[in-house]
Amino acid sequence: MPPVPPPFDPELAAALELIKDLVPPSLTMEDIETVRQGPGMRMLADLDLTAGGAFAVEERAVPGPQGAPEISLLICTPTGPAPARPRPVVYHVHGGGMVVGTNRVGVDVALEWARELDLVVVSVEYRLAPEHPHPAPVEDVYAGLLWTAEHAGELGADPERIVIAGASAGGGLTAALALMLRDREGPRPIGQLLLCPMLDDRNDTPSTHQMAGLGVWDRTANDTGWTALLGERRGGPDVSPYAAPARAEDLSGLPPAFLDVGSAETFRDEVVAFASRLWQAGGIAELHVWPGGFHGFDGFAPQAALSRSARAAHLDWLRRLLAE
Amino acid sequence: MKELAGRLTALDPAAGEAVRVIAYFDRLAEGRAGAEALVRGAAVLAGVPARLVDAERGVRIRVEADGVRRDTELPPDPRWPSAALTPGGADALWLERPGARPSVVDAVILERAAGAVRLVLDRTRGRAPLEDPALVETLLDATAPEAARLHAARRLGLDPRVPARALARPGLPPRVVAAPAGTPVPELSAGRAGIGPAVAVAELPGSWAAARTALRFTAEGTAHDPGPRVVHADELGGIALLADLVIPGAQPPPDVRALERAAADAPWLLATLHAVTTTASLRAAAAEATVHHSTLQDRLVHAEQLLGWPVRTPQGRLRLHLALTMRRLTRP
Repeated sequence: MPPVPPPFDPELAAALELIKDLVPPSLTMEDIETVRQGPGMRMLADLDLTAGGAFAVEERAVPGPQGAPEISLLICTPTGPAPARPRPVVYHVHGGGMVVGTNRVGVDVALEWARELDLVVVSVEYRLAPEHPHPAPVEDVYAGLLWTAEHAGELGADPERIVIAGASAGGGLTAALALMLRDREGPRPIGQLLLCPMLDDRNDTPSTHQMAGLGVWDRTANDTGWTALLGERRGGPDVSPYAAPARAEDLSGLPPAFLDVGSAETFRDEVVAFASRLWQAGGIAELHVWPGGFHGFDGFAPQAALSRSARAAHLDWLRRLLAE
Repeated sequence: MKELAGRLTALDPAAGEAVRVIAYFDRLAEGRAGAEALVRGAAVLAGVPARLVDAERGVRIRVEADGVRRDTELPPDPRWPSAALTPGGADALWLERPGARPSVVDAVILERAAGAVRLVLDRTRGRAPLEDPALVETLLDATAPEAARLHAARRLGLDPRVPARALARPGLPPRVVAAPAGTPVPELSAGRAGIGPAVAVAELPGSWAAARTALRFTAEGTAHDPGPRVVHADELGGIALLADLVIPGAQPPPDVRALERAAADAPWLLATLHAVTTTASLRAAAAEATVHHSTLQDRLVHAEQLLGWPVRTPQGRLRLHLALTMRRLTRP
């Protein structure tokens, strides 16, 4: 495999130049605490989640998994006049490599969809690795979804129209949630939005090698995230598909999926393979590979032309999904 | 790992220190980013809308601070921080920062962005735009159907909503330049040029005819051929009527023949008389001709004998001015 990586899109390469000190490509176990205390997380605390009054925002503690602590759901409900029928719900799972982040990370993106399409947003806070290895994070995500489906009426929302969504680690957890809901015969979401999802603990596709040391989440960082979640089981024979959805042998019976990924990122090949396997299993999936995109580019550089296209594609898919 | 560090620091103008600005534009240039991406970079880093207007190449791009392109027909405010694409050229890149002195960061953004934009435009639009001879010929041909002329204009990158003017130069193909209201005529390299009026694109054949007329009023600016190298048709006024009366290459009128005879006897004559007709006083004319005031007086007495009419009375000066002008018009 030649080591030549695909080039970054010019605008995205320039944006990377600006953030390379704040978001180096290779996160190690020792860096986790620094990032958790870093300026990015502090900025998130200051985000105006009401979007200038468009949403009523509430943090609600709800029951966690059996025998585990309560979890926090961030619930954002449109303040506009109630529509004739209950609103659909975006159930959002945040990113952060399984090791950092809160339910505010990336929720502004979900709020943009909600603003455009009049949705309720519920963003779940899950326990983080390595303090809380698998299955703690995904079981928290599952518990939050159960509560959301059962209490949708209280939120003016329709439990039959829940879309599950997440980026990066949140995308991986969202795909795992879809598998779990299928297998446990839980509520059926109408779609899963998997943005540059983190799916495969084996960390050995050509793109993981090709992008080593480049972008914002490389092979080293990926090893850090998966090892935090799985410990010594990472890459071994006994990894649950609820931890790493790429491990699932059966991808049939899942809700329609939207997947996207950059061509210049670690996750490229695992996301493309996952989409192919969804189709091979008779499923519905829409896959976008953004040329020259680095991991999470549309969040880091929303002004770039490619980011606009990506964001428009997310919204278009949601609009089509919800138009039924 | 998305958004580990929160939103892109590029959206925070305070984060745009000069070094990061330079690195940002260097990476855009390395990646051969297009003009819109460069203008967007300027807007996003400065936190205000940015505009690129290259009238000559027909490029107009305006991008707002959130990265969305929203063009406008309104002229830029001259008080905004701005930069030229080339040293000494007309301003072409603006940051819409009203009522504020440009910061150091603004200056760096403008300088780097303008430099990168110039390279992109040279690469994508050519160094000598609007020079395709066949298209220009169609555009300036009054007998071509208007639809064909407008089509040629679009192919040449002319915005049909922006006025343009034709330029005539001896021995060179015609040239057309966009001329938005309030912009100066572009700098021309040395040499004679007639400049037509700024007109609607469909009216360019008329501007071309006027430019060719103006060209006839130009001179080399030498001792043997004194006069202006560049003449604007707009500034000729009624003098332009002379062009129809004097046929190039035909037998010159009597006063021109008198001038030629006198010039053969006195090599200083043409330059000295040109100075007299183009300055406000004889003292100024002496300075212009670089002779002493009394020397000038002596020369004019001599000139009046050679020509056979006075040159120091208002009527005589007009006759002299017309003779010098008609001399240029007789040029074959």
